[in-house]
Amino acid sequence: MIGVVGKLGRRRLEYEVVKRLVGPLLTEVESARARVKSFRKRGHQPKGPFGPPLESARKLKELMTRHYLEGRYADGAVPVAWVTSGFPVEVLRPLGFHAVYPENHAALCAVQRVVPHLSEAIEQQGYSRDLCSYPRADLGSVVLQETPVGRLPRPDLLCCCTNICQTTLYWYRALAAHFHVPLVLVDPPFVYGEAKPHHREYVRDQLEELLDVAGKVAGRRATMDEIVEVTRLAREGTLLWGECLAESRNRPAPWTGIDGFFHIAPIVALRGKPECNAYYRQLRDELRHRVDKGIGGIRDERHRLLWDNLPIWFDVRGTATLLAERGFNFVCTSYTNAWAEAGSRIDPADPLGSAVIAYTDIILNQDLGKRYATLARLAEEYTCDGAVLHSDRSCKPYSIGQLDLKQRLAKDLGIKVMVLEADHGDPRAYAVEQGHGRLTAFMESFA
Amino acid sequence: MRKAYVARQREALGRKSVAVLPVHYPKEILTAMDVLAVELWGPPGSPRGPEAGRLQTYVCAVVRNALAFMAGGHADVVDAALFPHTCDSVQGLATLVTDFGGWSKPSFVFQHPKGPTRASARKFLIAELRALAAWLGTLTGRPLDVEALRRAIRLHRAIDETKARVLARRERLPLSDRELYEALRRGEWLWPEEHLDELRELEGKLALDAPPRAGVPLMVTGYVPEPMALLDALDDAGAYVVRDDWAAVGRRVVVPRCAPDLDGDPFEALATLYYEAPECPTRSLDQEARTRRLLSLYDESGARGVIVHEPKFCEPEAFDVPAIKRAFAERGAPLLYLETELETELSGQTTTRLEAFVEMVGARRAA
Ligand code: SF4
Ligand code: SF4
Repeated sequence: MIGVVGKLGRRRLEYEVVKRLVGPLLTEVESARARVKSFRKRGHQPKGPFGPPLESARKLKELMTRHYLEGRYADGAVPVAWVTSGFPVEVLRPLGFHAVYPENHAALCAVQRVVPHLSEAIEQQGYSRDLCSYPRADLGSVVLQETPVGRLPRPDLLCCCTNICQTTLYWYRALAAHFHVPLVLVDPPFVYGEAKPHHREYVRDQLEELLDVAGKVAGRRATMDEIVEVTRLAREGTLLWGECLAESRNRPAPWTGIDGFFHIAPIVALRGKPECNAYYRQLRDELRHRVDKGIGGIRDERHRLLWDNLPIWFDVRGTATLLAERGFNFVCTSYTNAWAEAGSRIDPADPLGSAVIAYTDIILNQDLGKRYATLARLAEEYTCDGAVLHSDRSCKPYSIGQLDLKQRLAKDLGIKVMVLEADHGDPRAYAVEQGHGRLTAFMESFA
Repeated sequence: MRKAYVARQREALGRKSVAVLPVHYPKEILTAMDVLAVELWGPPGSPRGPEAGRLQTYVCAVVRNALAFMAGGHADVVDAALFPHTCDSVQGLATLVTDFGGWSKPSFVFQHPKGPTRASARKFLIAELRALAAWLGTLTGRPLDVEALRRAIRLHRAIDETKARVLARRERLPLSDRELYEALRRGEWLWPEEHLDELRELEGKLALDAPPRAGVPLMVTGYVPEPMALLDALDDAGAYVVRDDWAAVGRRVVVPRCAPDLDGDPFEALATLYYEAPECPTRSLDQEARTRRLLSLYDESGARGVIVHEPKFCEPEAFDVPAIKRAFAERGAPLLYLETELETELSGQTTTRLEAFVEMVGARRAA
C-alpha cells in the first residue's frame, strides 16, 4: 500500500513539475529561439503565394506541445479521460481530469503521414482499411505504443458522445475492450427537423448520469459553481474562436481556411481552460491587426472558396499552395465553423440545459436540410464564389448527401461547386496528383 | 411476389404497410396497429436507376440499394417508411431520401438508444416506443389498443420461441440451408400470424429421432444471408449452417433470461425484451459480450468452424471482426472471413474459398 501511495505521489510530483516548471521553461526557450529567428529574418519578404506567417502559430505550437507533454506524465497522477471531440468535457474539467482527444491525436498522426504505418499494425489484426482513418490511427498507436507525441497516458475513463458519428461508439467499444476501463456514453438522438422534448430529456438525463460516473472515477463530484465557471470559459473560448473565423469575412481574408484547420486544436482539446481563451484572444487581435493593414492570408486573393468536411490532413499544405498560387483561398470551412457554433450555445446561466442543446444540435447530428442551410449561409456571409465538398471516404456522416448538396448549392447560389473524393487521414486512399489535377481544372473553370 | 402480397393485404384486409430499413425495431407495435412490416435489406443486386449515383461507392450496398430502390419508385406499394437508428449510413439515408427527394410518403425514425440498460436509456426507449405508436396512429387513423399490443407481444414471443427451437435443432430438418433460410426470412414481410403458421409447419418437419444431418457443421456470424447462393455453395461443398448470428436472422431471435411481464405495461415489456436481445454492435457498448456469446453458441452447437460474413463498408460489424477473430483463434477454431456486397450471385473466387474452408475443416475433423 505504501509502495502504491509512494508511486502515486511520485507520479503526481513528476506531473506537477512538468506542468508548472518544465512546460513553461520549454515554452520560454522556444519563444526566445523564435524571437532570435524572427529578428534574423526581419526585413525579409516571405516568398511564395502566402501572406506573412501568423505570429500566433508559434504560440499554438507551444500550447499544444505543453498539452501533450503534460499528458505523458498524467496517468497515475491525475484521472485521465479519452474523450471524443463532441463530448461535454465541461463536466470533467473541474475534477482535474487530463483529457486526451484521440481525434486530435489522429489528426496529428495524419499530418505527419504515419497513418499507413499505424493502420497496417491493426489491419494485420483484421481491421478493415475501409474504416475511418482516425480510429485506425488511434488503435494502431495503442497497439504499437507509438505516437509522434512521445506517449499518451493510459485512460481511466473513456468518454464517447455520438453526436459526431456512431463510428466513435464502435471505436470506443474496441478501446474499452483493450484497456478494461469504463466507457461512458452520451448518445444524443439525431435531429430530424426539431428535437423532440423526450430527446432533450434523454440527453439531460445522460449528463446527470455522467456527473455521477465522472465523480466516482475522480473521487468527488463537481460542484455546480465549478461547472458554471468552466462553462463560462468554454463559452468565451468558443465565441473567441468564432471571432477569429469571422475576420475572414473581410477582403482579403487575413488568414487561410487551411490555417484554421490547425488553429482549431485548442478549442477542441483545451475547451474550458483559461489558456485556450488567452490564445484565441491573441490570435483574434493579430487577425484584426492584419485586416487593418490589409494583409491577406494569401498575397493575391481573387477567389474565395468554402470547404466542406474535414481537411486532407496529409496534403493540407499542398492543397493550400496549389490554390494560393492561382489566387484562391478557402475563407471558410463548415468544419471549423462547427466549433464556433456549437459552443456558443453553452450558457453559464443554465450549464446543463444549454449543454443539452449545444451538444445535440451540432452540424453532424442534424438533418441535411440544416447542413445545406449552414453551407449556404457561410457561402453568403463569406462572399464565396465557389465551394469544394470533400467527399471523405473515412467520414460517412459528413459525406453522405454531398452529391445532392452540390447540385443545390450550385443551383441556388449560382456558385461553382466540386466534389473532391479523398480521405482525411490515409494517403493510400487519395492519389494526390489526380486530386490536384481535378482542383486545377475546377479553378480553370472560374476564368 | 412481395409487391403482390402487400397489395393483397391492402385490398382484402385494408391493411397498411411500412417499408422498414435494417435492423432492430419493435415489430410488435406495427402488428398491434394492424400494419404490415416489409423489411428492406437492400434489396440485393446492383442498385437500379439513375438515383443509384446519389451515394458514394464507399457507402454500404444495403443503403445504396435502398436509396435507389425507394427513389426509383419500387417501394411505392407501401404507405410509409421506418428507419431504425442503426448506423451513420441509415441515419444519413433517412434525411437524404426524405429531405432531398426519393421518398415523399410519411416516414419515422426509430431512435433506439445505444449502450447498456441505464435509467435514462430505458426511459427514452419507452418514450420512443410510444412516439412510434403515436405516429402509426396518425398513419392508420386509429389509436393504439393496449390489449392488442399485449396480444402482439405474445404472438411475436411465440414466433421467436418457435424460431429458436427450429434453429437449435436445424440439423434434424430435412431441408437444405437455402430452403430453411428462405422460410425464416419470409418473416421479413409476411403477416406475423401467417409466418407463425409456417414456422410451426416447419417445426413439424423436425425429425427428432432421425440422425443429424450429414456434413460439416459451421457457425456463421454476420449481417444478412445474401447472396443466398452462399448457402448453396456451402451445401455443395458438404457443409451446413448449424448456428447463425446473422443480424437479419439468428441475432434477432430473443430468448429472454428473465421473462417480461406480459400482463403489465406492454411498453415496459418491450423495453425488457429490447435489453434481452442478443448482443449487436448497432446497439450495445460491450464488444466482449458479443464474443462471449459467439463462443458459447459455437460450443453448444457442435460447429466445427466459423464464417464471419460481413457486407463491405459496414462499420458496426467491421469493428468487431478483429475481436471475433482473436477469440476464435484462442479457441483453436477455424475461421473464414468473407466480405460480400449484396450481389445476387457468389463470385467464383468466393465459392473456391468456401470449398477450401469446408475441406480444411472436414479434414481436421477426420484427423
Ligand atoms: S472523421 Fe467522421 S467517422 Fe471519423 S471519427 Fe470523425 S466524425 Fe466519426
Ligand atoms: S450494412 Fe452496416 S453500414 Fe450498412 S446499413 Fe447495415 S449496419 Fe449500416
